[in-house]
Amino acid sequence: MAAQRVRRTRWGLLAMVALFVLLLVSLSFMSDATHNSERFGQLYSWLLLVNALGLVVLTALIGANLYWLVSQYRTRAAGARLTGRLVVMFVVLAVLPVSVVYYFSLQFLHRGIDSWFDVRIEKALGDSLELSRAAFDVRLRERLTLTERLADQISETPPAVAPLNLYDLRVRSGASELTLLGGNGRIIASSSVDPADIVPNRPAEEVMLQARRGQPYVGLDPVGDSGLYVRAVVPVSPETPVGEPRLLQALYRVPDRLNKLADSVQSAFARYKELAYLRKPLKYSYTLTLSLVLLLSLLSAVWAAFYSARRLVAPIRELAEGTRAVAEGDYDKQLPVSSEDELGFLVRSFNSMTRRIARARDQARRSQQQVEGQRAYLETVLGSLSSGVMSLSRDLKLRTVNGAASHILGVDLRDSLGEGLAGLKQHHPFLDAFLDSAALHAHAGDREWHEEIALFGARGRQVLLCRGTALPGEGVRPGGMVLVFDDVTALIQAQRDAAWGEVARRLAHEIKNPLTPIQLSAERLRHKYLANSTLKDAEVLDRATHTIVQQVEAMKEMVNAFTEYARAPQIQRRPVELNALILEVLELYRDHVPGLHIESELDGHNPRVEADAGRLRQLLHNLFKNAQEATAGQPDARVQVATRCVDELHSGYVELSVQDNGPGFPDGLLDQLFEPYVTTKARGTGLGLAIVKKIVEEHGGVIEARNLRPTGARIRIRLRTIEPQQRLPVPAGGRDAGSSA
Amino acid sequence: MTAFQGKAANHRRLRATLFALGMACMLSVPVRAEQAGSFWIRSAHTVLINAVYHLDARIDFHLSSAALEALHNGVPLTIDIHMQVVRNRDWLWSQVVADLHQRYRLQYHALSERYLVKNLNTGVVSSHQALQDALESMGIIHNFPMLDEHLLTPGYRYVGRLQASLDIEALPTPMRVWAYVTPQWHLSTDWYTWPLKG
Repeated sequence: MAAQRVRRTRWGLLAMVALFVLLLVSLSFMSDATHNSERFGQLYSWLLLVNALGLVVLTALIGANLYWLVSQYRTRAAGARLTGRLVVMFVVLAVLPVSVVYYFSLQFLHRGIDSWFDVRIEKALGDSLELSRAAFDVRLRERLTLTERLADQISETPPAVAPLNLYDLRVRSGASELTLLGGNGRIIASSSVDPADIVPNRPAEEVMLQARRGQPYVGLDPVGDSGLYVRAVVPVSPETPVGEPRLLQALYRVPDRLNKLADSVQSAFARYKELAYLRKPLKYSYTLTLSLVLLLSLLSAVWAAFYSARRLVAPIRELAEGTRAVAEGDYDKQLPVSSEDELGFLVRSFNSMTRRIARARDQARRSQQQVEGQRAYLETVLGSLSSGVMSLSRDLKLRTVNGAASHILGVDLRDSLGEGLAGLKQHHPFLDAFLDSAALHAHAGDREWHEEIALFGARGRQVLLCRGTALPGEGVRPGGMVLVFDDVTALIQAQRDAAWGEVARRLAHEIKNPLTPIQLSAERLRHKYLANSTLKDAEVLDRATHTIVQQVEAMKEMVNAFTEYARAPQIQRRPVELNALILEVLELYRDHVPGLHIESELDGHNPRVEADAGRLRQLLHNLFKNAQEATAGQPDARVQVATRCVDELHSGYVELSVQDNGPGFPDGLLDQLFEPYVTTKARGTGLGLAIVKKIVEEHGGVIEARNLRPTGARIRIRLRTIEPQQRLPVPAGGRDAGSSA
Repeated sequence: MTAFQGKAANHRRLRATLFALGMACMLSVPVRAEQAGSFWIRSAHTVLINAVYHLDARIDFHLSSAALEALHNGVPLTIDIHMQVVRNRDWLWSQVVADLHQRYRLQYHALSERYLVKNLNTGVVSSHQALQDALESMGIIHNFPMLDEHLLTPGYRYVGRLQASLDIEALPTPMRVWAYVTPQWHLSTDWYTWPLKG
């Protein structure tokens, strides 16, 4: 395409050069023709026409170029302004000098033509003509007189001998030709010096008419190419008064020398006169020719300006278009190299640049495809993992997350990609512990860590086993972190249940079984030897056996309680109204425990939980009992029971708190408060709070205990509610407070 | 000869028209209110003598003041008498059967103060004391043989036509542009037509 354009441009240039040369040659011919040259004189009009048409063609071409430029301007095409500026510059550069030359040429031309003419020469020529005429006048009069004499002589001659007489008269008179004419112009007789002249030279009609009227005629007469003759025509008297009137014409040749001189004077005068007459047309013609030359030069210059500007700007325009194409992402743009100059170098550089960019783009595309392939592969692998995987960037923003992670955490984290930890916490508050732990390890710079983290979220309590690994970074800067976590809630529960079950089984087998024989043996000893013993022995025996039996009972109770704890009964979940259950259990304590003041502040929304009512009742018993025992003996023993509904983003839960004003938990025991056999009481199985925790975990809840200032302790339990958005209306007596005295 | 002359005449006419149009566009020349010349064909007819059509015609020439001025300043004037025999056709343009030119050059001889008329076809020169006599000598065409009768196809209609004009192309080159755009130099008769008969 580029080659085609170059070829077309070349043809256009050749055509224009041909037109220019044609017009130039034509103008040259025309200029020649203006000099009245025989060669081109006949072609003058055609030449003028050809030039006019050529100029019209040039004007049309320039018009087309101008239209193109204006349309380019309007569409704000690349390079239009530069083309315009170049055209204006070229035109101004061409027009000014040509116009100056034209003006001065015209001046010189007019002055030059005017200088040809001089009044003195004109007068001299006129005078020479007058002189010639005067010189001829004398001769003419002589010749007329001679002719009249000849006429007199011939009038006496009879017509029959007229030709003979004419010959004699011609020879004697020195005339070139003598002709005797009849009244009607008929030639009667003629005699010529040139025997080849068969037909005599007849006088004009008006001359004969004049002679017939009796007025002789004499005059200079140019005859053919023979030069000047003196023609005299005189009437010849008739032989008789009634005879036919006749005329005698005599032609006298002007001597050669005189003839030449006369011819010279005549032609010089005529030439000068003609030139003088043609002075104005000549000026017009030269001005016209010069104007045509000017127009041709100007129009050619303007066209050349357009051509040069377009040719000069073409690579720049193409470069601009190419740059625009590259800016729009078309890196396959290649520009034609039309010249070997700096612009050509620029175009080649541009082509090389676009080729490199295209290669780089292709390479980047391939790399991106590879990366995407790897990413898809990784996502597939991650997606197929049962463990949750999250990766955090260096600034702890969520970068990737797999499906299992969302599934384990119960929230779709794919929408939160790119969010920082603060944002994640804001949207998912229940992930606080998880995210805090990750942030803690990240800030600590741990390369690898693992931790068990408990969450309370939409699915209740969850225990996650989380492993974190720092990602390789750039240089010394860490490259973020990948977190892999599993939901081990069920596993831990199962392990714990299995362990406690085993302990319970062994206790039952190893401890409970021997207790009955021990008790029976003790009762048998007592029965057999108490009656036969002395009072003193009997007292000892009685106390000893009583102690054994009592302790065995206590051990049995203890084992039973432990068995009860370790037992994993099937939970029967049903919707339970928590407030009602709390009030039911509280009733047992309110009236039967003296000195205990019980306050209840229950949420008016009547939270309902999906739970086993029996197990919950046991939980409440254990808590109240614990509180009661903690405040036993205090004068202002007070237990506060409260429920509160909390709505979070994804779920709702009820928070149950039981608070007493007892001495609180010993600080050293707070961490292991919910472990079995941890107690501060003299008579306690150490299983009360362990059972509470077990029940809470069975129901997917969380429990925490803390001491209050200045005194007291509070245990807080969170359980998921059902139908958080369809809670029962707040009852009139929602808040309940009572005391047992 | 006839066909060639016909083409040449058409050629000249076309050239003159185109040139006049071109020049009229390019120049604007004021027209002086002076004597306007006129050429007029008074009569023209053909006579069949010995199977040859002979033309008899009378043409009046009146030169314009511009032409007279040029003549008296030594510029020769060429007058072209254009004769044609045309076959009229109903559906096509007329066919030119014969096409002849009779050209005269009129010149003023300052020394002898006479007007010379040269028949450019024959080379015969006649001189006249008065311009009117010179013009009349050109305007009388007597027994001019135009066409052999055998060249005509019997049964068709033929007409003879005649036009006389001043030949601007024969003027000196510098004058031509001026002459083309000046009405005083446009001296020409209309075509004078007559039926051809014996």
